[in-house]
Amino acid sequence: MLLVPCPNCGPRNASDMSYGGEPHSRPDPNTASPEQWRTYLYLRDNESGWITEKWYCSSGCRKHFKLERHTLTGELRNPPLPGNKTGGHK
Amino acid sequence: MADPPAFESPVVTIGRAAGAGSITLTDESATTKASVRAADGTPAASALGLTFGCAEARGDVLVARTRPDEWMVFGTSQAVAAHLGGLDLSGYASTVDITHSRLMFRITGLAAAKAMAKVCSIDFSDPMMPSGACVGASVAKVGCDIIRHDIDDVPSYRILCDRSFGQYLFDALVDAKAEFG
Repeated sequence: MLLVPCPNCGPRNASDMSYGGEPHSRPDPNTASPEQWRTYLYLRDNESGWITEKWYCSSGCRKHFKLERHTLTGELRNPPLPGNKTGGHK
Repeated sequence: MADPPAFESPVVTIGRAAGAGSITLTDESATTKASVRAADGTPAASALGLTFGCAEARGDVLVARTRPDEWMVFGTSQAVAAHLGGLDLSGYASTVDITHSRLMFRITGLAAAKAMAKVCSIDFSDPMMPSGACVGASVAKVGCDIIRHDIDDVPSYRILCDRSFGQYLFDALVDAKAEFG
């Protein structure tokens, strides 16, 4: 079981959350090339180590937030403070 | 404007041993339920107050802050209307009567926390979930709001879920409490 530290609800089972993956800024659909759009939709960095990712507390406070997770160990760190959606250090 | 139709719970409770044993499970869906959404800093948010995750009885109604920007108010229709009638809804704030869209069950008994722990991953120990606490969580895989509101020091939990999941959740709770006699 992965305990995800929600900034509002505290540590909660990951099954109470929705995983949002790595945050990427959305390119402008009016000006983006097909390559840029494909990269945004399908390609992920998939780094080994600490990454920033998005979570949604779907069963609890229903807020989106970011935190850092180590992809090898599963450790989680730097959840945002309540009211701050940013979180993470990147 | 015509009166809304009388509430009719879709949950069939007859013959399901809901009241048998040391834990009782009741369908309190007919209780009037109102949701208030209000952004930080609005007059409505200030008036309703409470810390996120807390609930308290105010006269004839129970007020619970179930989300950082959402409150629920329970009681008779007159009491809820009276409580919300004077609310200043300026800014980003609104009230919705959710009586017909949400069902509410109440599970009461000394072992109610153990029964709940079978179907929900929340820590139901007294320090983490005392009377007057509320939390959003999945119960038997159904997204619910849970409010602990003890009756004469006997643990009691109100569980709210979407109407369409009502019968399934009721049966799951009957099943969860069965082993505790």
